[in-house]
Parts: sequence; C-alpha cells; structure tokens
Amino acid sequence: MSSTSIKIDYTKKELPDLITKLGYGLFALGLVIAVIAYFTDHTRAAYNNLIVLMFLTSIGLGALFMIGIEYLMGAVWSVPFRRVMEVLAAVLIVLPIVAIPVYLNMHDMYHWTHSDVVATDKILKSKAPYLNMEFFTIRIAVFFLLWIAFYFMITSNSRKQDKSGDQSLTTRNIRLSAIFMPVFAITLTFASIDWLMSLEPHWFSTMYGVYYFSGTILAAIAAGTFIIIKMDENGYFAKGINKDHYYALGALLFAFINFWAYIAFSQYMLYWYANLPEETFWFIDRWEGSWVYASIFLMIVHFVVPYFGLLSQPSKSNPKVLKFMALWILFAHIVDLFWLVMPTYSKDGVPFGWMELGFPILAVGLVITVFATLYKKMNMMPVGDPKLKRGINFRL
Amino acid sequence: MSAVDYSQELSVVEGKPSLRSIDDVIIKPLESKPDKKFYIALAVTVSMLGIGAISLALSFYYGTGLWGNNNPVGWGLPIVNFVFWVGIGHAGTLISAILFLFRQKWRTGIARFAEGMTIFAVITALIFPAIHIGRPWLPLYLLPYPNQHSLWPNFISPLLWDVFAVSTYFTVSLIFWYVGLIPDFATLRDKTTNKIKKLIYSVFSMGWRHSNRHWQHYEMVYLILAGFATPLVLSVHTIVSYDFAVSIMPGWHTTIFPPYFVAGAVFSGFAMVQNVLIFIRKIFNFEHIITLNTLEKMNKIIILTGSLVGYAYAMEFFIAWYSGVQPEQFAFMNRLFGPYAWAYWIMVSCNVIFPQLFWFKKIRRHIPAMFIIGVLVNVGMWFERFVITVTSLSRDFLPSSWAYYKPTLTDAGILIGSFGLFFTLLLLFTKTLPVVSIAEVKAVNDDAQPSHGGH
Repeated sequence: MSSTSIKIDYTKKELPDLITKLGYGLFALGLVIAVIAYFTDHTRAAYNNLIVLMFLTSIGLGALFMIGIEYLMGAVWSVPFRRVMEVLAAVLIVLPIVAIPVYLNMHDMYHWTHSDVVATDKILKSKAPYLNMEFFTIRIAVFFLLWIAFYFMITSNSRKQDKSGDQSLTTRNIRLSAIFMPVFAITLTFASIDWLMSLEPHWFSTMYGVYYFSGTILAAIAAGTFIIIKMDENGYFAKGINKDHYYALGALLFAFINFWAYIAFSQYMLYWYANLPEETFWFIDRWEGSWVYASIFLMIVHFVVPYFGLLSQPSKSNPKVLKFMALWILFAHIVDLFWLVMPTYSKDGVPFGWMELGFPILAVGLVITVFATLYKKMNMMPVGDPKLKRGINFRL
Repeated sequence: MSAVDYSQELSVVEGKPSLRSIDDVIIKPLESKPDKKFYIALAVTVSMLGIGAISLALSFYYGTGLWGNNNPVGWGLPIVNFVFWVGIGHAGTLISAILFLFRQKWRTGIARFAEGMTIFAVITALIFPAIHIGRPWLPLYLLPYPNQHSLWPNFISPLLWDVFAVSTYFTVSLIFWYVGLIPDFATLRDKTTNKIKKLIYSVFSMGWRHSNRHWQHYEMVYLILAGFATPLVLSVHTIVSYDFAVSIMPGWHTTIFPPYFVAGAVFSGFAMVQNVLIFIRKIFNFEHIITLNTLEKMNKIIILTGSLVGYAYAMEFFIAWYSGVQPEQFAFMNRLFGPYAWAYWIMVSCNVIFPQLFWFKKIRRHIPAMFIIGVLVNVGMWFERFVITVTSLSRDFLPSSWAYYKPTLTDAGILIGSFGLFFTLLLLFTKTLPVVSIAEVKAVNDDAQPSHGGH
C-alpha cells in the first residue's frame, strides 16, 4: 500500500437518537432545576449559574484555542478529529444566553456594584474606572462578539474545505489563528478577572488569567478526549486512528495537569511566603471552616489522582483509562470553579446541596445538545483538509 | 494565495545526503587542523576572558568595593548576570528534552549544540553567586552536612533552593549530553586513525557497538532522562524567580513571576542558540542539516515566548494599578518614567516590539535580519533582569536612602569576562566534539525510517 493511494474511506455515520434525547433530557432537567433554584434563592442560584458559565466558556474557548494551535503549529495528529473541537467550540454561541441570568443578578453577587460601598471604600474607589457596570458590560459584550466571530470565521473555512479541498483555506485559517492568539490571551485573562477575580474586588493576582487558562485548556482537551475515543470506538471516524493518537491526547492531558498544579502552587506559595494581609485573606477564606476540606479535596481531585492516573506510559494510550480520566478532569474543573466562586457566597462553610448538583447537569445537557445538533449538519472528519492523510498516518 | 503544500511533510535534512557524507561533514572539524580564523576568534574570546580574570583578581585583592553594589542596591550586576546566563541555558534543555518528548524531529540538527550551550551557560552563571557572596571559601556550608560550627543551611530561603535546583539541573544536563554523545564517540572511534584519539574515544564510547540491544537501552535511557530534565528546566528558572517574588519588594512580589521567568529564559536562550548556529552552519557547511526551515521554527518560538513575556509585562502593570497598592504602583511608574526609564524602554522595545517582526515570513527566513533581532532579544533580556533587580532596589521604601546604582568598570570587566568564558568554551567544543548528533541526524534523514504506508 503506497502512501499516495490511501483513500480516506470516511462515510458519515449518524448519531443514535439516544444521544440527542439524552442531551435534551439532561438539558430540560437542568433547566427545571435552575428555574426552581432562581425562585427559591436567586443569589445562590446565580453563583451556581456563574460556575456553569465559566465551565462552558472553558470548553468552548479552550476548544477554539486548540484548533488555532493546530493550525499555527502545523500539527497533523489532531487533524482527523478536529471537527470534534470545532463542534465543542460552538458552545461559545450559547454563552451570552447563559450569562444573562448572572448579569441580571450581579448586584447580589459582586461587591463592587454597590455604589454606596464603593464611595466609602478607598481601594474600590480607585478601581472604579475599571470595575463599573458600564465598562464591565462593554467588555463582556466585546469578548462574546470576538469569540463568536472567530468561531464562525475559522470553522466556516474548515467546512468549506470539505467540498473544495482548497489548500489556501488552510493558509487563511493559519492567519486567522495567528490573529486569534493575542485576542484569546487578552480576552480570556480579562474575562476571568471580570467574572471571577472581581468576586473578591480587593484581591488581586497577576497569575489569575494563567490559572484560569490552565483549567480551560484541561477542560477542553478532556471533553474532546472523551468524545473522540467514544466516537472512534464506535466507528464514527475513518480507519487508521490508533493508540498513538490516543497517546498524544493522554500526554497533553498529563502535561496540563502538571501545568495547572505548577501555576496553582506558585500562586499560593508566593502569597503564603510574603504573608501580606491584603493578599493572604483570599487563601484564608479557603482554608477556614469546612473550606479546608474543599481545598484539600481540590488538590487531590485536580492533581494527585489524574497525575498518578496518567503517569505511566501505557495509561496515556489506554482508552479505558483515558475515558475515565477525561470525565474525572471535567469534574475536577467544576470543583476548581466551585472553589474559586463559592467562598464569596458563603464564607462560613462549603455550601453543598441540590443546586450545586443540579446546575452542572444543565452544563452537561447543553454541551450534548449543541454537539448533537451540530453533528447533523457536518462531516465529522475534515475530509478536504490537506493534512488529513498525514494525520491518520501519524505514528509516534 | 500560497505555494505551500500542506499534504507533504518537509524533510528535516535537505538533499538526501548519504550516511557516509553525514559522518564526514560532521566529523570534519574534529579531524582537520584549526585554521587562522579559529585562532583569531579564540584570541578575541580569550582576551575577553582575560579581562574578566583581571577584574576578578582585582575584586579579590581589593574587595567587592570595586563593584557598584552599595546600599540600597545590594543586588547589582552579579545577580543580573547570573539570571541572564542561567536563562541562556534554558533553550538547550527545551530543545533536547521537551521537544524530544513532543517528537519534534527538527530538533535533531540543533540539539547537541544547544545542550552544549546549556552546560557552558550554567558554568558561566555559577561564577556569579560564588563571587557575589564575597567570601568564596564559604559556599561549602550551603551543603547540609553536620559540621563543627553547627552551621546548617536555611532551608526556608529560595537562594538555597537555587543551589540545589541549579546543581541538579547541571548534573542531569551533563549526563543527558554525555548519553547522547556515546554513539557518536563510537563512530569517531571507528573512524579515527590516531592512536591517542582512538584510546580516548574508546573509553568514552563505553564499548558501544551500535547493536540493536544497545540502541534499545539507549532509547529508554534517553527518554527517561528527557522526562527528568523537563521538570528540572522548569524548576530552575521558577526558583530563580522565587528569589525575587517571595520578598515583599514592590516590582518583585508578583505571582506571575514563575511562568514569566521561564518564558523569558527560553526566549533569550533561543535567541542565543539561533545567533550562534547561524555562524556554525555557514562555517562548517551544515546548511543542509541545520536548515533555514529549522531557523524559521526557532524564530517562531522566539515570537511565542517574546509575546508571553510581553503579556507578563502588561499583566504586572495592570495589576499594579488594579491592586490599589501604592508602593506597587510607584514601583511601576518609576520603571517607566524614573531614572532607569532608559533601561526599561530598551527592554520593552527589544523584547516585545522587535521580535514581533517575525510575524512576517520574509523576516523569519532572512538571515541577517533574524541575527539582528536575536542580538536585540538578548540585549533586551539582559536589561529585563537589570530593570527588575535595580529599579526596585534603588528606590525602596525609604526615600532618604534612595540612590542611583551605577555599575563600575570592574563590573563591566566581569560581564565581558563571562562572555569570554562562554564563547571560549563554545569554540573549544566545536573542535573537540561533534557539534551535531551524527546518529540522530541519520535517523531523520529522508527514507531513514519505514513509514506507515511504505515507500
């Protein structure tokens, strides 16, 4: 068999109805819980809604980042399943809708929105040129617009290529990705500062954007890994994807597990060591009362378990381990966001009840629904991509 | 729109050279007598080294009063130079270990040389903390061993972590380098006709016979060492950044320091490797092994790391304002418009602005242009360490003690000497060891590996 004569024997296989139904079902269930939650305790519901918003941002924006990186680096191994990332990035479109309830409840969540408090607080007053509702609204709107615009530009080029196989579309996407990277870095950083860091408006850390980024990429790769392996096992891709592709996914997960731990540890260590009260209180909030268990739980769930789970070479290409670890890491990312958001809602102890269980269902249902809806509209392999053959032939 | 064919993989080695010609071209510098140009270059670097040696001798004789270090700037050029040289070393390990783990084939042509530069850069760097303590007979006490004076190192200090981090890093880098050299020593042993050389090469090749089993062990050791070296290289500059960031000095105490220092180190290291390789590939006729495509990829890494450094500058600045902490805000305004504003603006233009020219393909592939940008990057990165170290200290918490730090001639002499040492070691390296891995280049030559789908 010569390399020039390999034909990609890809014929699209439709998703079973069960997936669509599961998506709708979970989404509807989550929605009902969310509505009831807003009627029982709208503040707590809004904080949970924020976690869902940031989780979906992670998946959508992280997936778009992975697509951009593939084009920029000229990577080939990820080409056969780039469509999975493109579909996940579509989550960006629904973000503004998820953000609306949070936005409407900001007065009960963000200290800096109270003009009477800001007027008497010297530090908040000095931040007012940045932390005010007008500027906040403009920023968030611009971020959403940019993300959705880049999503449409990059993925539509990719889809056009299915028919024409035109190589210049790849060149065009490389250029778009190059422009997207700085946009991504800036918007992700300030989105995380606006939505998450400003929950504690007195607190600050230059690492915050990088911290959120590390979780973002992890969540996107984990979601992708789970879907890719599931689909490959059930024959949704052309033949040829094998353990080496799995290994690449596992190695990426492992690398970013370490990256997250490195960033989290450095941020903590530097504040612990210098011991300045204006910086340490944020960590003290997460180390007092029952929050200490949440902090320890986070370290174990987000680092220790996946680290040892993916450390050995065989485990990085074992589909069973990878599927489990991918779901585990998604759970860990929710725990991480919970740990970032919830101490603002309840300093006394970890709030854990039906709301905290219910809102993630909404997120999962939404991702599956978006996936199933878009799946119907496109090929699940970029059949016109010039790098596709090389991607399928990828060997370590 | 574009002439690039994305469906084909670019070859790492151009022109499909025969295996024999790869041997010959890489070994040639070792077998031939050094020419005039080599001696001229060596004379220059040894003279620079001499200037450094004289400056050091004077410092030992008269004391560290010959340096510019004084209150409030206790950390002057010695720390700046230390951080600079440790940073230069980072590219080597990134290329040899991290890119190896990523299976980047283009690293093969440049890995050996970059690893060599790592080792020489760390040797150069280690001079500075040794002399900066002023009592060079005391560092022995940095090792935790029970002694009559009941002296025990202060494990809470990041300066001590540095000792362990840098020495571990150096050891692993050296072993990594040596393991990579073993197959090449065997090739040299088999080729040489000189008896003394044969003896030396035989000892160092440790009985290597290029057998299948040897290669299997070699590959495994190489992989494990790459796995070790990767966290080590990240830890070294992370801990160097802790030296600054754990203190409460405004401008130093900021959480983004660890990844920012690592990115900056890789940035300057790549610029240095790129600069030196431009000469090496020309002088030794390695243009088909260290190709223009390889240089272009290095330039891409320079633009990536340069942008990360730019991001860190911006974040520091924004958070200094956002934090509302006055000393922090002052420290940054002082950097921009204070007495050291000239250094700050050199740093920003060289590190953030000029490397952005690499977005243009023409500049990325234009050798004189990339050389100049590479030099500018290193100027900028040296000034980055200068700005961080000096601006914060020269205007500390007590305005009455503020002072303008000025390096002295002796400081400059030691800095020149460090470049002399580094380049002298590099020159000697090019004449004693194969600067490109013979075995690895053969493995990435076209048709060297059976590929899926066959040929």
